[in-house]
Amino acid sequence: METFQGLLNGFSVASSGTNLLYCFLGSMLGTAVGVLPGLGPAATISLLLPMVHTMGSPATSIIFLAGIFYGAMYGGSTTSILMRLPGEAASVVTCIDGYEMSKQGRGGAALAVAAIGSFIAGTVGVVGLTFLAPPLAEFALRFGAPEYFALMLFGLLLAVFLSGHSPIKGTIMMFAGIILANVGLDPISGKERFTFGFVALQNGFDFVTLAIGVFGLSEILLTLERKDAVEYATTKIGKLFPTAKDWAESRWAIFRGSLIGFFVGVIPGGGAVIASLASYSVEKRVAKNPDEFGKGAIAAVAGPESANNGASNSSFIPLLTLGIPANASTALIFAALLIQGVTPGPFLISNNPDIFWGVIASMYIGNVILLILNLPLVGVWVQLLKVPFGILGPVIVLFTTVGCYSLANDTFNIYAFIAFGVLGYLLRKLDFEPGPMIMSFILAPLIENSLRQSLLMSRGNLSIFLTRPISGTLMALFFIALAVQLYVGWRKRKTADAGQAVGGLTENG
Amino acid sequence: MGIRIRSGMAIVAALALAGAIVVAGGAEAAGWVPKEPVTVIVPGAAGGSTDLLGRAVEKVWSKYCPQPLLVVNKTGGGGVVGATAVARAKPDGYTLALGYGSGHDLVMPHIQKVEYNPFRDLEPVARLSIHTVVVLVPASSPAKNMKELIDLAKKEKRPLTASVGLTAGAVDLVIRGIASTTGIEITSIPHKGGAEAMTTLMGGQTDMGGGHPSEVIVPLKSNRVRAIAIATPDRDPSLPDVPTLIEQGIRFHTWGSVKGIAVPKNTPKEVIAYYADVFKKVCADPDFRKSMQEISQPVLYLGPEDFGKFMVQASGDYGKLVKQLGLEPK
Repeated sequence: METFQGLLNGFSVASSGTNLLYCFLGSMLGTAVGVLPGLGPAATISLLLPMVHTMGSPATSIIFLAGIFYGAMYGGSTTSILMRLPGEAASVVTCIDGYEMSKQGRGGAALAVAAIGSFIAGTVGVVGLTFLAPPLAEFALRFGAPEYFALMLFGLLLAVFLSGHSPIKGTIMMFAGIILANVGLDPISGKERFTFGFVALQNGFDFVTLAIGVFGLSEILLTLERKDAVEYATTKIGKLFPTAKDWAESRWAIFRGSLIGFFVGVIPGGGAVIASLASYSVEKRVAKNPDEFGKGAIAAVAGPESANNGASNSSFIPLLTLGIPANASTALIFAALLIQGVTPGPFLISNNPDIFWGVIASMYIGNVILLILNLPLVGVWVQLLKVPFGILGPVIVLFTTVGCYSLANDTFNIYAFIAFGVLGYLLRKLDFEPGPMIMSFILAPLIENSLRQSLLMSRGNLSIFLTRPISGTLMALFFIALAVQLYVGWRKRKTADAGQAVGGLTENG
Repeated sequence: MGIRIRSGMAIVAALALAGAIVVAGGAEAAGWVPKEPVTVIVPGAAGGSTDLLGRAVEKVWSKYCPQPLLVVNKTGGGGVVGATAVARAKPDGYTLALGYGSGHDLVMPHIQKVEYNPFRDLEPVARLSIHTVVVLVPASSPAKNMKELIDLAKKEKRPLTASVGLTAGAVDLVIRGIASTTGIEITSIPHKGGAEAMTTLMGGQTDMGGGHPSEVIVPLKSNRVRAIAIATPDRDPSLPDVPTLIEQGIRFHTWGSVKGIAVPKNTPKEVIAYYADVFKKVCADPDFRKSMQEISQPVLYLGPEDFGKFMVQASGDYGKLVKQLGLEPK
């Protein structure tokens, strides 16, 4: 009852004129920065922080900033689907099948399903946030280094099978990603690794330069190479909205993605990335035709896009109930709250109910605004594909270059971006799918840190991963999944044509 | 794409500009005055203690400077990356370093080669604050004070584990200092910054930890962790009931993390004088002081000369400490 009363109060806060306006502005701005490659929600929130101090009430400013954050999750899929340019880590998976759909003239359906999936997952996320926040926050606290290690190892396994065609090539790419991730300073001792004496390499490579170089720039190079290079993905636009068949294939994917995203997103750190990976692999397992994955399966867009939105909403749980920011964007919101004299954490709900419930209620409203904003935009975005490549190509290169530079205001990132573009081009010429490399690049530092922390805690005793209940369970699932995957691979080779669906990779990512 | 994206950019730019216009207030008319926006580089992540200080400055900045302040987080290398960026910036008064006097300036140069020299490449402008280090145990720990913690370590006959943000960071130095002074064995578990270290401590994954008051205030208030000691010579005004290590018979202290403002070397004198004056006014501003109280950071202003002297002394002391703890390079 208290929850409903609180929520009701929250809606009266959120639906005041000013708050509604800022909720709208935040969502709109978030969509825009989500679409722009390079410029992310964290950078935008950081730029706008001085402005929010003048907004008057802390509730208004947080409603605005939260809108930017979850709005960016809606926009993030757009360039992934249309141009193979992932705006952020959680959209990498969407590049694979989303872009294939664009090539087949189904880009509109992919965008629409991503928007609808984001809406449903966002709403599921806020409902969960409303009713389940405190117990889930307690659960997240039980994740120590060994649990992270087991979870991230699981993510790495899922990443290897992202490409689908050849597990061996996938494994090679996974190791390439790990090596790239090792460039820079050792996280524990601070010693240089693989820097070859270059100061610029001390910071390591940025995920954005790698992802948009290997995916996006390489795509442009490949398009240039084609003799009939007049079009980017396709000039065929096809139906803007999903057909009944598309909808039938994606609705359960959206539902499952929402739940996976919500629960995995609570864990601080790589939540949204693991959620999108887990959703992809679950969908591939339950699909009637898993072979379609990688060739434009709509479920492979619907699931992960829902999952990353669910995760973005549930990442507010540790912030609002424990005072722990789970990622860079929520860290800035945390700072904004503290400076305005509001302490996020267990007392927020009793000391500042107008903020706690106002922000949650604004998320319900923001989700509706985003759906209304994004569905009509689908038609506009898809028109981009009609722009001749001679114009679109250079514009993409220009914006991605500016985006890479603005990551740290550093020209080094531009050189790295170009080098990764060439690398991606070569890899695709040799038929290596870059997805596993990018995913392992994201996961490797998390795995390394948690592995070394765990071993420091146990003084080098490996049993720490098996004796703790959560990490023990996750490790057991990992080995079962690995065994099943190896067995499936072995049997496939044995009976090359018997493409029977096989039960397998467990779904509890 | 062109039009859409440009309009997206335009929205960002317009909103940022609108914010700048709203906050830009009265101008100062003595000597040098900035003519374009001023960038202050925070060498740590958003939401960390140095970042919070920067945000508090940003909030009142427009009252004392006609140009907007851009807070840029440049993370990496435990603060070295951000400080190096300022050390290499043009000495034109448009790039400031925040957090001058943190571990990367005072401690790290004694341990490893860093990219810049905190004394030869940077010029002190003003000290704003000193962040003490609070020694913490998780709420589930049986220890209520340092003595009980030491007894626990002796009884359990195993090394204690400690969550620290960074190897040889402010908290790690305190942990190592406690270990070497009391003779108990403590293994430091480094994390990617203080916030992550705090999360594992709150979850009871380690036996002890620490942090600056602004980072620990939420878990403290909600009884997730317990404060058992302050590692600076004096108690912290935001936690007046927590005794120092020295009061508890452990003869060890550090200077905490000094947080000041610096500019690149060779910045003209009148520019330094201008900012020293601006920050003096910021430190006296009631709104700023209120924000600082909210984030549990004491305001301890020093002007350029006094701050410079203080830095030399603190650096010397940290050099001795590093040697004493056996952290110096082999």
